[in-house]
Amino acid sequence: MTPNVRDVLQGVAVALATPPSADAGMAYTAARLGMVGSLAMMAAAEADRAARDAALENAEIRALFAEAGAYDADGALAAAAKETDPDLSVPALDASNARLRRLLIGLHEKVETADDAAMNRRIVALYVTMAQIRRMGLGGG
Amino acid sequence: MSGSLSEALAAYLGRTWGQPVAIEGLARISGGASRETYRFDAIVGAERRPLIVRRDPPGSLIETDRRCEFMALKSFNGRGVAAPEPLVLELEGAELERPFFIMARVDGGATASPFSPDPYAPHAARLGEDFFGTLGRIAAADTASLPIAEVCEAPALGQCWKRELDYWAGVIDTDELHPQPIVRAAIRWLYRHPPPPAQKLSVVHGDYRSGNFLHDGEGRILAVLDWEMAHLGDPLEDLGWALDPLWRHNETERVAGMVPKAEAIRIWEAASGLKVDPAAFAWWELFASVKGQAIWISSAKEYRDSGFKEPILCFSGWITARRQDEILAAHLTRLAA
Repeated sequence: MTPNVRDVLQGVAVALATPPSADAGMAYTAARLGMVGSLAMMAAAEADRAARDAALENAEIRALFAEAGAYDADGALAAAAKETDPDLSVPALDASNARLRRLLIGLHEKVETADDAAMNRRIVALYVTMAQIRRMGLGGG
Repeated sequence: MSGSLSEALAAYLGRTWGQPVAIEGLARISGGASRETYRFDAIVGAERRPLIVRRDPPGSLIETDRRCEFMALKSFNGRGVAAPEPLVLELEGAELERPFFIMARVDGGATASPFSPDPYAPHAARLGEDFFGTLGRIAAADTASLPIAEVCEAPALGQCWKRELDYWAGVIDTDELHPQPIVRAAIRWLYRHPPPPAQKLSVVHGDYRSGNFLHDGEGRILAVLDWEMAHLGDPLEDLGWALDPLWRHNETERVAGMVPKAEAIRIWEAASGLKVDPAAFAWWELFASVKGQAIWISSAKEYRDSGFKEPILCFSGWITARRQDEILAAHLTRLAA
């Protein structure tokens, strides 16, 4: 996902190392620092769960691919469904996730072309699951 | 810019107004993430003029047309919409070295964070009348007679949806750093189910939502802010954006933290003289979430490309993007049922 924990913490470091503009004023500088602090706190929470979330999402996508034989003429989905994630580092899981997501987009396009309402609902249900896995608890209701 | 922003503003305004100008109280303010926004007082003789300068940043949430923003303010200032008075626009940057414009400052109001709970109570219902009534009046305006028509393209009524969808889908094509199947599915649905032509051509504020206005704390809007995405298009576009669940302050019953959805639509219809066709509006509601996700995806890219400097870009590209995916998935679930 983007930005990942490394990106966020790199940004926190850059923001803290950059002197505030003389034109910014105290209120803006304080608000900006508050946001930097919030990002650091959220990065701490994300660090605990990033690998688990990516692994969970990858497993959910692979489970769907195992049900999509009708749309798998070249066997790419079946092959992806059998893969595992031996490297549990976040960059490796994210790279695997990107490959799976690309295949998922292609699968959904084929399902839409075939006007397969049942499989479409199954994919949309997966989208709900993916969004819930990545949920961070902020925003509207 | 060799000196400070204060010095540059004093030099610019002194040259423009033909008399010495002193700058006091210059301070950057949060919000309006597509521009650097500063408040200041310009002292001209015995007169103190409270002003705002909005300058292009090195990087921003989204590229926008500053001429449309300026002319949108000019179109509505003093015409039944609380739009601040625009004063000068400099496309070449002059003494400030980046494009900017200056407008009159509206003091004494408050803004709300989109993520704070119940920010308008106990005046939420009254504010909802003003908020959705104002949006209805913007939608009702005859665009041909407004200054914004001089600088913004007027699409055909049947092409309003496509122009916007093409643009924001293109932003995602350009800026996506990680594959995004949820918003991709939404984009395909929108192309497969185009809405009917717009009822009329309207000014679209482009970012009309809770948090983008100053209010007096008693249910009245003092200034509608952040017109940087203003354009001409379908009036339902702004209504869909204003009602997006992202701006609901964690509520399920009230939209924008103010009034129930049906009441918001009633107020808007009464003020605009237009009707909300449910099928057309379903399209614009989904489009609003696609547009939102495009902005958040663009923010994430800008955050990386600009050297990880602006925390608001990180917040938008990370936290807000994830919430938007939830909203998009909920829309797609309803449409697939």
